[in-house]
Amino acid sequence: MSRKLLINLVIIVVLAAVLIILPIALNNVYWTSILVIMGVNILLVSSLRTIKLVGHISLGHVGFSLIGAYGSALLVMKLGLSFWAAIFLGGLMAAVVALALAYPFLKVKGIYFALLTLLTAETFRLIVWYWPSLTGGFWGLLKIPSPNPIPIPLIGTINFANINNYYYLTAFIVSLSLFVLYRLERSHLGFKWIAIQDTEVLAQSVGINVKWHKMLNFAIACFFAGIAGALYAHYQHSLSPDATSRFGVLMSIYLVVYMVVGGESKFAGPIIGTVVLTVISEFGRALGEYQPMMIGAIAVFVMLLMPEGLIGLPNRGKLLYRKLLNQTQRMRRS
Amino acid sequence: MDLPAQVWMQAIVNGFALGWLYVLMALGLTLILSIMGILQLAHGEVYMIGAYVTYYCCVSFGVNLYASMFISMAVMAGFGLFLERFLFRPVRAQILAPIVISLGLTLILMSTAVVGFGLYERSIPRLAQGSFVFLGSAVPKDRIIAVGFAVGLLLLLYLFLKKSKYGQAMVASAQSWEGAILRGISPNMMSSMAMAIGCALAAAGGTLAGSILMLTPSMGTLPLVKGLVIIVLGGMGSFLGAAVGGVFLGLVDGIIPVAFSPGLTSLAPLVVVILILLARPQGLFGHE
Repeated sequence: MSRKLLINLVIIVVLAAVLIILPIALNNVYWTSILVIMGVNILLVSSLRTIKLVGHISLGHVGFSLIGAYGSALLVMKLGLSFWAAIFLGGLMAAVVALALAYPFLKVKGIYFALLTLLTAETFRLIVWYWPSLTGGFWGLLKIPSPNPIPIPLIGTINFANINNYYYLTAFIVSLSLFVLYRLERSHLGFKWIAIQDTEVLAQSVGINVKWHKMLNFAIACFFAGIAGALYAHYQHSLSPDATSRFGVLMSIYLVVYMVVGGESKFAGPIIGTVVLTVISEFGRALGEYQPMMIGAIAVFVMLLMPEGLIGLPNRGKLLYRKLLNQTQRMRRS
Repeated sequence: MDLPAQVWMQAIVNGFALGWLYVLMALGLTLILSIMGILQLAHGEVYMIGAYVTYYCCVSFGVNLYASMFISMAVMAGFGLFLERFLFRPVRAQILAPIVISLGLTLILMSTAVVGFGLYERSIPRLAQGSFVFLGSAVPKDRIIAVGFAVGLLLLLYLFLKKSKYGQAMVASAQSWEGAILRGISPNMMSSMAMAIGCALAAAGGTLAGSILMLTPSMGTLPLVKGLVIIVLGGMGSFLGAAVGGVFLGLVDGIIPVAFSPGLTSLAPLVVVILILLARPQGLFGHE
């Protein structure tokens, strides 16, 4: 046990060190900005996986991230709240809306949920589009301020207009959120969610309130989607409800693809999927219009050939290795 | 509202025509969903590619417009057979995999269209020129022809499912997959047929839309969302539900922007769906 703890501790320290050193080592504004967006996406995809824990697929996660983004930005711009309160309230708004919508949505089963969430995200996007007096409409919401600088004794003031500092902020908030999601999954609540995914009827029969837990799960996942949206808003300083923006159907598709390419069975899956596919699409940028085609082809191939995703590869390798070992032993014997 | 009667008439006719395009979309989706159990999210892209096939037949090769539409329906039916056999059949029994494959397919087909057909807008020639006078207002003929086509296809499909041996086999397969196998109905064949018919309907819808509206690589997304809403509204597998739901959504799209504001149009489907779900979760004409 203690050995395992030590290994985990070493992994965490190494990861933290890599996260801290990365922007300094890269020393490149472009790549650091990719890292920030990647962090936001990791949070989105991981919270998408949280919904998958109760057996549902959401195609409307971007809708709730839109609520967080616009909510937080407008709270700062119109009401003059500080970033720190606004990002939390943005997430909370997304969670409340999710909770309210989950009640009617969960009246139908299975696959309909995916379809209804898709409709929800499109509706939110179009509401923003057609409400220029509040949201800037299709011109977009511009000049969203950076987070307020925070003074820290001994070090001085940290100014988040600097991209490296914003990267650290993102890394911190995303890591914290991922930690919360991970702990939730391993908590009593998470076990109930997984029980619901495995067999809903059985879960109900041992006294789990299936509907309430599904609603709660959806609200929690959407809370983090809202946080991710707010992080994006204050980084990008502008938001657009265009169909090709981060809040369109295409982004929803990308999020699901990131999740399954990484493998949705393990917590690390969405993180690995997002990192790998982001890197692939960055290096595939030269392909231009062919880039979505490549991502789509990857999704189809992963589903057909390795449904458990990248996270299942080590296991697969182990099986293959054992098979080969057995064969060579048999050959030696004969 | 002091708008002239002509504007109202135009809004209603446009909405009605749009509604029937959505119905074609929803019929294909509900057929595929009830027989294969798969949410075909790339159906909007099938609709878009179908429209482009008609466009190229008609404009580049000079085939008659109506003949091009049937060619496009046949081509997309064949494409549907291909998709079913090689992409959807291997993952039939799963939940997540078919959705992801259809999403991947969406990306592939959409970027294929961007690369192959270009981003600029085109238009299929009109189905008919001119208009006729109805209740003192001019009604464009092409809208009416489009609605006629859609209604005709709906009736054909209805007759096929009710009267023919294969249609009955499909209904049986949708009702009980295992029961149908026991009666010697091949689920694979039924899936192929559902996919072929669904894709042909989408191609017809795309052609009609390309003639009334515009052709763009992203033209499939909106009808897809509408088609999905119609399934929830009308109830899965219900023809009457699809027709009523489609016409309703079309009229909302046609009338509300004229009467109130376009913002309301985008909100209406979600609100209606929520109300329906609260009152009748199985849809207006669906049954559990």
